[in-house]
Amino acid sequence: MNPIILGPLVVAGSAAFLALVIALVDRVVNNYGEVSIDINHGKKVLKVSGGSALLGTLASQGLFVPSACGGRGSCGACKVRVLSDVGPVLPTETPYLSPQELADSVRLACQVKLKKDVAIELPEELFSVKKFKATVESIVDVTYDIKQTVFRLDDPASIEFASGQYVQIVVPPYGDIKESVQRAYSMSSRPGDSGRVELLVRLVPGGIATTYVHKHLKEGDPVELVGPFGEFRVRDTPAAMVCVAGGSGMAPFKSMFYDMRERDAFPEKEIWYFFGARTTRDMFYLDELRRLEREWPRFHFVPALSEPKPEEGWEGERGLITDVLDRVMKDKVGKDKGMEGYLCGSPGMINACIAVMTKNGIAESSVFYDKFA
Amino acid sequence: MKNTQAEKEALERMRPGVITAQGFLGTDARSFADIVESDTEAWRREGVDPDAAADFLERLRAEGQKGLGEPAGVDGRYVVTVGDARGLLPCPFHDGTFHKNSVEAVDEKSGSRIVYSDLSVHLLRAHRFCQGEGSPFRLDPEAVSRMMR
Repeated sequence: MNPIILGPLVVAGSAAFLALVIALVDRVVNNYGEVSIDINHGKKVLKVSGGSALLGTLASQGLFVPSACGGRGSCGACKVRVLSDVGPVLPTETPYLSPQELADSVRLACQVKLKKDVAIELPEELFSVKKFKATVESIVDVTYDIKQTVFRLDDPASIEFASGQYVQIVVPPYGDIKESVQRAYSMSSRPGDSGRVELLVRLVPGGIATTYVHKHLKEGDPVELVGPFGEFRVRDTPAAMVCVAGGSGMAPFKSMFYDMRERDAFPEKEIWYFFGARTTRDMFYLDELRRLEREWPRFHFVPALSEPKPEEGWEGERGLITDVLDRVMKDKVGKDKGMEGYLCGSPGMINACIAVMTKNGIAESSVFYDKFA
Repeated sequence: MKNTQAEKEALERMRPGVITAQGFLGTDARSFADIVESDTEAWRREGVDPDAAADFLERLRAEGQKGLGEPAGVDGRYVVTVGDARGLLPCPFHDGTFHKNSVEAVDEKSGSRIVYSDLSVHLLRAHRFCQGEGSPFRLDPEAVSRMMR
């Protein structure tokens, strides 16, 4: 046979043979058979095929642990407490685990490979988390960099959640992005409107999910959502709510206020809502929230601009939202039934607001927040 | 120029989908060593010390954080927005983890705009790596120098 033909044939044949050997060895060596996952001391026991990562295996059984990176071990979000021996903590996990978490046997579910029976602990609320197939119903610009995006739920057709909770949007590969990722966004829709999910998405330069929503997503597109997640919600007490947000941090509060108004929930609560922006260009829902304030006596809306331009004719509060918060808390917020803090924003914003709130009489244990990081 | 073994390993971790979905190399096909050498020459040409550039970027970030997630004016010249995301990012050279954030700085004087993160500044300061051409978080020496002037 011609050596020009024979050479490639020999190489191709050798490669095919090696691939077959590897596949056979993998099947024998990595065949862990059926393993069980005991969740919360026998509350739920799953029988699954071993060999895959805990995160993906749980998802295949309809149990969705929050994860932002799609299981690549780069977000550190999928923490679970593992009660049985699954081997040492991997170098890929240690950067994301605090000394306390290491002592408590917390692991990253995406890095734990199921080789034998395991026992884990999961927050009970994860049992009600579902994956939803949805369709983009509308996308509206509320500022130059924030889009209000509404998804109609197709399967399941409705979601049960508490206002303040969040969902993860599944971003498929697009453009140069070769792998699917998930990102968390607070729901701004009311729980009473259970067939829809509304999100406020601010464009983050270089952000994978926000770029997808802002530049690629169109009305009518199919999308997957996973949720609900989170423990940020209104507490059932008579204490006044002191709420602070900026930008897309508006989302959980919009859901809370309209839900409370619709159900006349927690009727003893006075609500103070501080919303900070730099200029009127960054401000949104002003008319809507001012109307709500006129129609709902226990709701007080305090929008503030940190750097209003003279030509904007801004007549509201001026200054950093923390300074405005300090001033108004001292002078106007009623303290007779106690106060609670509610925050949504960056870690810097949360820490700055906690300092102001505790200085003005709110116990740190009564400040609740959805920290982005 | 050839990459060292450590650079080769770091380069693998810089590819899309390993640490971040987009990676650190953008559309740049040059070797890591060539990118660093070319950018080092650009800093020299601009007369800017990369450590001074890193200090400048860290100061902008710290001032921008006073906007608490909203755009903040800095020095009456820059508008800086610091956004935070959930999670941490390890350095491709395995010498630290960094909070996942995105700093957008716009210079109203020169019209320059740069986007960077805590990890970008670390890569510049510790490894003299500005990221490849086309990377969304690249610290282009000319753009940064223009903002510093």
